[in-house]
Amino acid sequence: MSALERSGQAALSRPVRWRPGRTALLLLAVVCSVLLAVGLGSVSISLPETLRAFGHGLSGQALSGSEVIVWQLRLPRVALGLLVGACLSVCGGAFQGVFRNPLADPYLMGVASGAALGATVSLVLDWPAAVTPVAALVGAMLSVALALALARSGRRFPPARLILSGVVVGSIMTAIGTYLMLHGEDRLRQVYSFTLGNLAFGGWAQVRVVLPYAVLGGGLLVLLGRALNVLSLGDLTARSLGLPVERLRLLVIVAASLATAAAVSYAGIIGFVGLVTPHLVRRLWGSDYRVLLPISALAGGGLLVLSDLLARTLTRPTELPVGVVTTLLGGPFFLYLLRRQGQIE
Amino acid sequence: MKLLPFLLPALLGASSALATTYPLTLTDDLGRKVTIQSEPKRLISVLPSNTETLCALGVCDRLVGVDDYSDFPAQVTKLPKVGGLYNPNIEAMVAQKPDLVVVSKYGKLAEPLTAAGITVVAVNPETFDDVFSKTQLLGRIVNRETQAKNLVIQMRRDIARTEVLTRAAVRKPTAYYEVDPTPYTVGPNSFIGVLLSKAGAVNIIPASLGDFPKISPELVVQKSPQLILGLDLATAKARPGWAGIAAVKSGRVLKLPAELETILGRPGPRLPQALAGLARLVHPELFR
Repeated sequence: MSALERSGQAALSRPVRWRPGRTALLLLAVVCSVLLAVGLGSVSISLPETLRAFGHGLSGQALSGSEVIVWQLRLPRVALGLLVGACLSVCGGAFQGVFRNPLADPYLMGVASGAALGATVSLVLDWPAAVTPVAALVGAMLSVALALALARSGRRFPPARLILSGVVVGSIMTAIGTYLMLHGEDRLRQVYSFTLGNLAFGGWAQVRVVLPYAVLGGGLLVLLGRALNVLSLGDLTARSLGLPVERLRLLVIVAASLATAAAVSYAGIIGFVGLVTPHLVRRLWGSDYRVLLPISALAGGGLLVLSDLLARTLTRPTELPVGVVTTLLGGPFFLYLLRRQGQIE
Repeated sequence: MKLLPFLLPALLGASSALATTYPLTLTDDLGRKVTIQSEPKRLISVLPSNTETLCALGVCDRLVGVDDYSDFPAQVTKLPKVGGLYNPNIEAMVAQKPDLVVVSKYGKLAEPLTAAGITVVAVNPETFDDVFSKTQLLGRIVNRETQAKNLVIQMRRDIARTEVLTRAAVRKPTAYYEVDPTPYTVGPNSFIGVLLSKAGAVNIIPASLGDFPKISPELVVQKSPQLILGLDLATAKARPGWAGIAAVKSGRVLKLPAELETILGRPGPRLPQALAGLARLVHPELFR
């Protein structure tokens, strides 16, 4: 057995370290964010009324007054935030692993610009509102398919080529979208708003649509944690340990892109969560993907719920685009952690 | 009656005093001091509302170019197109050899055109009152002050006619006006907001939120307006929690007719028509 293989075996047999203290703290923070997000909003609703809404909603009774706001607007919005944040963070983490690139994010394969183009086409052509998320989903998946087809080299998908074709396909989609926007100037703000993310109309129906994609895609990625650990050692080692590297890479890309595309179609492009969350988690929990991915899901969901809460309460009853909040919230915190970590090392 | 012989020349004198004297110096909507040397004969307008105003003032035949969106009155559609706000075709503008280009204060056209030696004036009607003051300003610029004055009087008269009707309405519905499904709406002091209240509706949006706020859908559910304008019933019903809103229950959710939507976006001479169209939607019972 070569030294390479030995280090690979060592990585494989490493025990899972969950850091229970930190995990419990994170769980608590996420639960608090969720409770706050359901309780607070652009409209003030008293605690008893919120609780009553819960009771009536769970038992399927008729809702009255502000109970509608709690049960049909806030709760699904929070649920969608959790799902989308979790989705983006897991996909971001998996992409960073599979491409061994710290700048990889869930939109790497052109998902974001493809979705934006789909939404732009639908908005500029004035298709019915219900079609827009479908168009976004189709656009996102077409982009990924195109990027994969262009990156293919025989039966292989070399990471550098994947990243490059993803970026270039993304740029082309953005250019087409911009061109279309100029011809539908009055839809400009709607398109722009899509690119900044928006959970405002996330209802139970949207949650039901996104849920299976998120669970299947995200769940698959979490299950692949061990394989991603091996892959992080390099293609050569992974191959020598019998890992079907190409098929694994393709599987991760397809699963992550599908989950991201589903999330984007309803929530728009919410930047930064998927890029930064895995990094934050890596710094606090280590880089074992078996821990990194599930913790990222939890942290990303919490971060997005918290950001959305701020987005709709800071200037209430008006709203800020949630993408602006995620960046303003996650960015400085990330930089702080980066600096602190640097001093320790 | 004996005064008449004295008054008449005075009146005539007053109307002839309305002729613009050039060079005319004014401060435009970009805050620039602009001097117009002589009565402009070759005009380009890059804002649909200004195009409509210029034509209503009777100088449509002086236009030698308009932006891509100017489409009223019909004759301007035959003019050379000089692009839009975000993709202006400056070469096409210069090629028309205009002696005045009326621009928007957005879009950054003033600098390159001025550099090309063309006189540029930025005129941007935005509020309800702007429509009248900018009409008179344009009248001064193109030496049609009397026409501008008459146009403003005519517009005010037509607006008053609708207002008298809606003021008599017994019940004024509370209303939510959606500009786009982001969702953006209009505050009561915005151009559309003023028209909405003149049409006899009570805007659910407080003035403190500004003229063009991006609001939370929670607010609309809480206020439960009796009338929703700007989207269709199916869309409203499909939104989480909106099925219980008074307007959705009673079916008073109306997408604006395309023509009305266009003129509502144009603070110009068709303002009375925009108001009448809106009033018809708010109070159909008054227009039977």
